Amino acid sequence: MITVGIDIGSITAKCVVLEDTRILGYKISRVKPNLEVTAKEILAETLSFVGLKREDVGRIVATGYGRNMVDFADKKITEISCHAAGACFLISNAGTVIDIGGQDSKVIAVENGKVLDFVMNDKCAAGTGRFIEVMAAALNLRIEDVGSLAVKATKKLKISSTCTVFAETEVVSYISSGEKVENIVAGVCDAIAGRIIAMANRVGIRREVVLTGGVAKNLGVKRAIEERLGFPVIVPEEPQIAGALGAAVLGQKA
Amino acid sequence: MKVGYLCTFTPKELIHSAGFLPYRVFATDRPINLASAYIQSYSCSQARGSLECALQDDFHAFVFTRCCDTLMRLTDIFEFAGKRVCNIEFPTKIGNVEYYVQELRDFIEVLREWGGEVNFERLMESLKLYRKLEEKLKQLFALSPDYETAIKVQQIEVRDAIKLVDEKIRTAKKEKEKPKVLITGSVCPYPKVYEIFREAGFSVKDDLCTGSRFFEYSYPDFEPVDLDSALKFIAEKYMNKSPCPTKHYEKDKRFEYVLKLAEDCDAVVFLLVKFCDPHFFDYPQLRARLEGMGKKVALIELEFPVVSFEQIRTRVEALREVI
Ligand SMILES: Nc1ncnc2c1ncn2[C@@H]1O[C@H](COP(=O)(O)OP(=O)(O)O)[C@@H](O)[C@H]1O
Repeated sequence: MITVGIDIGSITAKCVVLEDTRILGYKISRVKPNLEVTAKEILAETLSFVGLKREDVGRIVATGYGRNMVDFADKKITEISCHAAGACFLISNAGTVIDIGGQDSKVIAVENGKVLDFVMNDKCAAGTGRFIEVMAAALNLRIEDVGSLAVKATKKLKISSTCTVFAETEVVSYISSGEKVENIVAGVCDAIAGRIIAMANRVGIRREVVLTGGVAKNLGVKRAIEERLGFPVIVPEEPQIAGALGAAVLGQKA
Repeated sequence: MKVGYLCTFTPKELIHSAGFLPYRVFATDRPINLASAYIQSYSCSQARGSLECALQDDFHAFVFTRCCDTLMRLTDIFEFAGKRVCNIEFPTKIGNVEYYVQELRDFIEVLREWGGEVNFERLMESLKLYRKLEEKLKQLFALSPDYETAIKVQQIEVRDAIKLVDEKIRTAKKEKEKPKVLITGSVCPYPKVYEIFREAGFSVKDDLCTGSRFFEYSYPDFEPVDLDSALKFIAEKYMNKSPCPTKHYEKDKRFEYVLKLAEDCDAVVFLLVKFCDPHFFDYPQLRARLEGMGKKVALIELEFPVVSFEQIRTRVEALREVI
């Protein structure tokens, strides 16, 4: 059966088309103010990309914080269950899924694809992609370049404020005192890693640890998490689609 | 005239018999403005919201009963803000009835100073009315917890409250066979929060300060014959109400009570107000005991006024999905 998973996040929309256990294709787009329109457009775009029609699709599952706005979906499932399902579909021996998105982050303890426990931060920008975006803007960097720059650092500058607003002030004062940009961004990535590990300790960390969400593409954050954990973590080829993929996977079963 | 109170250990019968309206103060939908001049933002939002309400609305006086540290200090703040306040020392260690009867005697004097009139006959009438209300609420919650009603009846005349609950019992339907969640915690005066649980496909069981801690008592089995024995009746009634984490009980009464409630539930949600110390102190141990029973457990932190209903929804729906 062909299923579609649509993940309406805070910043991006993701759509995955799955035939049984084979990914036919996916798309990622920016979220527009109207979530229903965003969902319709990305569905049409992804279907035309894989050369299918609406009638070919057996089931559509929506997830993400905008899931309840996707009226045409056959089912709505929270991003907790979907990220777990998506990560375990890609990495079958996953024990912990860490998803860092644009405005939230979550740590999910999983076993054989089933959720055991989870914690979520969706109240505060610290520990989310938003935090990096704000700092990248202050440093005049593109978000894609933050990670590769961070791994070139010779030292990690300490960002001690948890609050994004105050942390930005710290970053600005590092700039004016002449610190190297790579050392500053390494500090920014490490600050995120610190927040995430603190949260992960509440559910307990078990290997393998899989990193999903847009921020998993940031090599600096990945490295910082690994340093703090003391072992390597796994980033799937396209970590940002894990939620949408999980929705499509769960659609096969539902 | 409204006499405000915050804690469910408040002897509302005495306030009522004196001719006042006992009015439970909750945080409201109004943002916290005036209260910020008196209280830090790291105090719980129930305390801040109640102070806001006290500063904006018209009250004759306020009654506190020693419960959590924050509410104890709130007593002083209310006084400092120029309010008429009485603080009754409810013993933290449950048991000393004689001591508390003396506190209640003193409270009667305060009520008289406030212009109230207390006598045996009137007190017996109030005792009867509140018992009737409590028993009816228990009946209603056994069918299906109705928080909108539970909150409303704590702010209106008890005779009207009885009528309202009667009506609700007539139309209430028994909760369907669905996965059941025990909601345990402090106060949450926002009925919409409970609807989220139902919309996610749960049936609800209550252990909250807005719910059963207001109406669940085991009543002493003697009939008061004079004012003093009526005070003894009140003291024993409140010492034997559903247990609260701000009190010390013989043995493990509070934990055992929660664990027993959880027995027929699939999941337990700790619905806690941020910075609510008494509940958070119990939380790690209680959570471990519940998980040991095989229950799925989740913590949902609230801040009043509640604005982020969708964030609560995601947590509740995710919990429903893992069962
Ligand atoms: N190529 C990239 N390199 C580094 N970070 C990225 C990249 N693309 C996206 N991100 C990060 O991912 C975040 C968005 O993640 P995503 O999982 O799509 O969020 P949401 O699901 O909440 O919309 C952005 O805030 C940004 O920090």
